[in-house]
Amino acid sequence: MPVKDQQKPPPKTTAPIEDHKRHADEFLANEKYKVRPATLNERNDEAKP
Amino acid sequence: MVYRPPFIKQGDGSRCQWTNCNCAAHAMAAMRHRLGVDPHNEHGWPPKPAEIRNRLGACGGTNLPENDLAVQHLYGVNMVVRYNVPMADFRSLIISGRGAVVPIWYGVIAPTKYDASPGFTGGHGIYVNERRSSDGAYLVYDPMADHRRASIPQGPQWWPASLLQKAAERYPGTRAGCVHCSLTKDTEP
Repeated sequence: MPVKDQQKPPPKTTAPIEDHKRHADEFLANEKYKVRPATLNERNDEAKP
Repeated sequence: MVYRPPFIKQGDGSRCQWTNCNCAAHAMAAMRHRLGVDPHNEHGWPPKPAEIRNRLGACGGTNLPENDLAVQHLYGVNMVVRYNVPMADFRSLIISGRGAVVPIWYGVIAPTKYDASPGFTGGHGIYVNERRSSDGAYLVYDPMADHRRASIPQGPQWWPASLLQKAAERYPGTRAGCVHCSLTKDTEP
């Protein structure tokens, strides 16, 4: 049985800043988002002068 | 008011300047992270794209983790790299007091008034400093927006959230509605 993602939804934009800070700290502790996607070719290209 | 770093352009005449977008974006992020305060180490200050590039080596595209390591070594700035961050969470991270370097696909920006490199439609790196609550727009520092020609925007621009999301999720290897990002520490009380 797959494990459900227990992450809380982010606060609404009108929420107090403390709610966003708390959510941000919880989010950054989530291991799920530390994993680099295997398909990601994360290199920028050469821009035009 | 959120600290705003000075704009740092990538087209500074240094070697690799046109592949230095991530280096320039990380230079601005380093300024935000340290609130402009010189770490007083053996490296230069303020941060320069060329100094970050010299730490990385040969010209060519760069990625978030290697730039993170470079600014850590040069300026004592330890950024936090996260992948496929849902846009609602990204919004919360910015509101909470962090800046972020975000890879985007420039083909989305090219047809808009924010285009700072006519003809360029590839992968690019920008720095996002803050979000405006009145309309949800993000203050974006595009390292190419140096007004080197009259038609090219100058310095930080308020991008609609929908445009930032579209450009970020079009980056190859990104889930719909998500962004990859390298975040500064929370600098706001």
